[in-house]
Amino acid sequence: MFDTFKKYGWFFKLRWKSYTFGVVALIICAILQVLNPIIIGNIIDHFIAGTLNWKILLFFVSLILVFSLVMYALRYGWRMALFGNSTLIESLLRNRLFTFFTRMDAEFYQKYRTGDLMAHATNDLAAIRFVAADGVLTLTDALSLGGITLFSMFVFIDWKLTLFSILPLPILVIVSTYLGKMIHARYRGALQAFSSMNNHVQESVTGMKVLKTFGEEKEDFVAFKEETKKVVDKNQRVYKLKAALSPSIEMIMGLTYVIALLVGGNFVQTGRISIGDLVAFISYIGMMQWPLLAVGGLINTLERGSAAYDRVEDLLAYTPSIVETTNAYDQSLDGDIDFAIQSFTYPDDRHPALTDISFQLEKGKMLGVVGRTGSGKSTLYKLLLRDYDQYEGNILYNGINIKDYTLESLKKGIAIVPQENFLFSTTIRENIRFGNPTLSQKEVEKYAILANIHEDILEFPEGYDTKVGERGVSLSGGQKQRIAIARALAVEPECLILDDSLSAVDAQTEETILSLLKQERKNKTTIISAHRISSIMHADEIIVMEKGKMSERGTHQQLIGINGWYNDMYQKQQLEKKLDGEGM
Amino acid sequence: MAKKQQKAFSTKESGQVLLTLMRFAKPHKFLFIVSFIFLALSSSVAAYLPIIIQRYIDTYLSKGTATMEITIRVVIFYGVLTLVKAASSYGKDFLFNTASERTVGNIRNSLYEKVGSLGMRYFDQTPAGTVVSRVTNDTETIKEFWTVFLNISNGLFSVIAITVAMFALNWRMALVFLLFIPFIIWMAGVYRKKSTLVYSQMRLVLGQLNASLSESISGMSIIQKYHQEKNFIAEFDEINQEYVASRRSMYSMNALLLAPAIHVIEAVALVIVLLIFGYQDFNSNAVDIGLVYAFTAYSRSFFQPISQMMNSLSSLQDGIVAGHRVQELLESDELAPQSIQEKNEWITDGHIQVKNLSFSYDGKKQVLRNISFEVKPGQTVALVGQTGSGKSSIINVLMRFYEYNQGEITIDGHSLKDLSIEGLRSEMGLVLQDSFLFYGTIADNIRMYDASYTDEEVKHAAEFVYADDFISEMEEGYASKVIERGASLSAGEKQLVSFARTILRSPRILILDEATANIDTETEGKIQKGLANMRKNRTSLIIAHRLSTIKDADKILVLNNGEIVEQGSHDELIDKKGAYFDMYELQTYQEKTGDF
Repeated sequence: MFDTFKKYGWFFKLRWKSYTFGVVALIICAILQVLNPIIIGNIIDHFIAGTLNWKILLFFVSLILVFSLVMYALRYGWRMALFGNSTLIESLLRNRLFTFFTRMDAEFYQKYRTGDLMAHATNDLAAIRFVAADGVLTLTDALSLGGITLFSMFVFIDWKLTLFSILPLPILVIVSTYLGKMIHARYRGALQAFSSMNNHVQESVTGMKVLKTFGEEKEDFVAFKEETKKVVDKNQRVYKLKAALSPSIEMIMGLTYVIALLVGGNFVQTGRISIGDLVAFISYIGMMQWPLLAVGGLINTLERGSAAYDRVEDLLAYTPSIVETTNAYDQSLDGDIDFAIQSFTYPDDRHPALTDISFQLEKGKMLGVVGRTGSGKSTLYKLLLRDYDQYEGNILYNGINIKDYTLESLKKGIAIVPQENFLFSTTIRENIRFGNPTLSQKEVEKYAILANIHEDILEFPEGYDTKVGERGVSLSGGQKQRIAIARALAVEPECLILDDSLSAVDAQTEETILSLLKQERKNKTTIISAHRISSIMHADEIIVMEKGKMSERGTHQQLIGINGWYNDMYQKQQLEKKLDGEGM
Repeated sequence: MAKKQQKAFSTKESGQVLLTLMRFAKPHKFLFIVSFIFLALSSSVAAYLPIIIQRYIDTYLSKGTATMEITIRVVIFYGVLTLVKAASSYGKDFLFNTASERTVGNIRNSLYEKVGSLGMRYFDQTPAGTVVSRVTNDTETIKEFWTVFLNISNGLFSVIAITVAMFALNWRMALVFLLFIPFIIWMAGVYRKKSTLVYSQMRLVLGQLNASLSESISGMSIIQKYHQEKNFIAEFDEINQEYVASRRSMYSMNALLLAPAIHVIEAVALVIVLLIFGYQDFNSNAVDIGLVYAFTAYSRSFFQPISQMMNSLSSLQDGIVAGHRVQELLESDELAPQSIQEKNEWITDGHIQVKNLSFSYDGKKQVLRNISFEVKPGQTVALVGQTGSGKSSIINVLMRFYEYNQGEITIDGHSLKDLSIEGLRSEMGLVLQDSFLFYGTIADNIRMYDASYTDEEVKHAAEFVYADDFISEMEEGYASKVIERGASLSAGEKQLVSFARTILRSPRILILDEATANIDTETEGKIQKGLANMRKNRTSLIIAHRLSTIKDADKILVLNNGEIVEQGSHDELIDKKGAYFDMYELQTYQEKTGDF
């Protein structure tokens, strides 16, 4: 149980001053709290003895007042110290996680889903926060308040009476710990029922059309009622035990009161203790209740905090497989691309995604890549961008293996625009100058014009200041794609990859964008894959991908001559154009 | 935004939310009442226990007349009452929580029923996550709201019981405690005001924090590719620090106004009590020692429940917000189209007639214009056209997913609006492009909750559409579990299951909405055979992407932009050399290139 605290050792060391202050303040509070019953006991004894006068009374009363004010200050102090530290450790770890996330590679994000990562960054951190404050607080409080109260009972009142009275207390610790564990186990069952109900709603809402089609709304509702009933039943099982927790503690405390009365009453009779002592003693029992109660909860808190800490540590121990070589070239990309891959297989997959792909692309030329979905076009780009390292073959940029460049120069040199684009929920301007936040409005506009999105942006209510995303304007697929292209252009990459990135834009606009790009990027390398043959037909070379292999290659004219897939595709699209002309 | 939220819920609105919640609690009022009886009992006993000790001290101990027998009697009395208190406090907690859980269960059921009665428009417009969250998470928050309610009632009862006990003992002393009440109410008011702000600020920042985190994780590859890690780390740190600051101000507020402050008030009350006792003593009025004990004990138990009550005030707002959302959904009027109840006509032959149908989803953009066509019993009619030409809208209207207002649709001579929706949908078998499989076994998915179909009927339906072959090959056959919406089945296999699902109900009319669009080549043959079987002797309306699958239709309607531009049989349309002809040509290439 205490090895949990060991794990947090580094943080306690880091914040030792405020922790020391917090713990000392807690202990002083405990001592002051224990003094109160003694004062009252004293006053009562003076009452009985008839020796009470204004002077004595005022002295005691002002002691109570002063103590209470000191305690107010101290209580404020330790709360800020302990709880402040707890949110500090949470934020420290959260930052650490975030920084860690920024260093992880594609494989990591394939392995962990967003939801899982979010859970680590929220639930686990909350459990850790709990240990850093409540854990420390409960432990200190239980030890100090419990210890000091017990000490006072022994020393100031009567050791024999104390000994008798605390006999039932170990039972209390056992019962509350045991009940706590049982409650937790049942609680897990309730959570499962809840999550099953949640899944039911999720599924039915997504499949609502099917449900309605078969007129099964009623039956589905009956099934849902079963789920809610299960949730109610499972929770009821929790309440059955949970409701017993505090009464059982009250009962055991009642037993100590009974013993105190029985034995204490007798002691008063025999004159062993005064009535004031007895009154104080009874107050002490009341004060023992909370620290003892807390111990049961403490064990649970620590166990959960320890497990959460381990999960976060495990996550942080992940090492990405994409690493820079020592003495990597820190120079900007410039020159020809030599792509020669014998075979590449995705991790956790059996069949190779690419086999025998090789091509040379001279600086400033344009390569077109076509092929049906799943033929390996995007995989090819992933390798070029070093998302994956474990392939047979070599990719050279200017004669240097891309693995020998620093990651930064590689990323700066190559920009990719995929079909589905992720825009951040900020202004359009910020999205365009994402890779280059210092760009002026004029420069931003220049790239927007290149991507043929400038006019669209001006039509938005707040122009370049319009926010995108959930709380902003909803963009059409084509608008998103063009903003993403502007974003990529804004970093002036040596090599630009358009991975079907104009699929949602009409043919006319696509042609405009491509011809603008051709002028603008005269001396720079471009790779385009597209659905429309028309958009890649002017490339210097075109390769056709099929099932991870190159099935055809050449210029547009050469490929038409081959009369293969490329030609079929081209003829088909010509026909489609004709249909469009007919207003279909 | 924090301020907006606070303003949005006036006392009146909060009251309305409360009333709605109360309505759901009504069926469980017995449990609530019994739990409140227990609550009263346990609070009263708790207030009475110090009196026993007080009497014992005053009557026996201080006079030196306590015998062992008397002490034992007192102790037994005390013990029994402690048991009563424990038992009633158990009853109170258990019953109240059970009742509130059941109330929330009721709310969930009503919400879910309501959701089921909403029109497809609602589901097309609302993200699934939002609907799910209304039914599960918001109601969960309402549970917390009930806990707050219990805490406050608990506190009130305890305070009242102790006040009564104090008055019974000594009314002058009791008055001293009552003097603090206005002050505490004022403090609670201040706290409520302040905490609403502080907590909503905290939630706001937490929301931002989580949004930023999840957005960054989703967009991590972009961040890395554009080398913006440092900026994002800095930005995240900023929100993170803001969150730390908002938590700190929450801690600070609670430390200043909650338990520590109440402790000070408790001490002040104690001091006043002691001073009054002292005053009485000095004016030679004998003071009962037991009374001093009782009042010092009460100073603690009078203020503790107040402290707890104030503590729970901060969660009140959450409950109101959640309750308001629930109320909104319950009052939503995006209802599904209704049938004219009295008529309740049924489909017998499956003779569909559509006359001059025009339809719009939003009342502005017409998606169907003046559509007229007829499907005679047993005939097959196909709808073709580009995406957005209005094919699916015709089906949305025919299936009564959306209400139509212009034109007339009749089936077997009855207006569509006169048919009971249940009857209509049971006689119109719709197969969608995306076959949706639910959690459960294959057989469950064919039955779809309707347990009245026997295993043989299920198997027979599957055989009829050629789904039996692959199902029987599975390890557990019809009892095989469908996981993650059928991830282990191919698109074609899933579609065969949904064919079986439809045919099991032997509808008069078959409607296929691009049912063969996502089919892999392995199952294509079976699908076609299955389809042919299904269409036998049935009125069929087919939307198809692949023209080869509808060649044998009795009539083909070519739609463009919401209008019928060509119609006739396959051969007639081919001869016409119009739009259909070109589309058909195109598909020859499509089949060659495998590109649709």
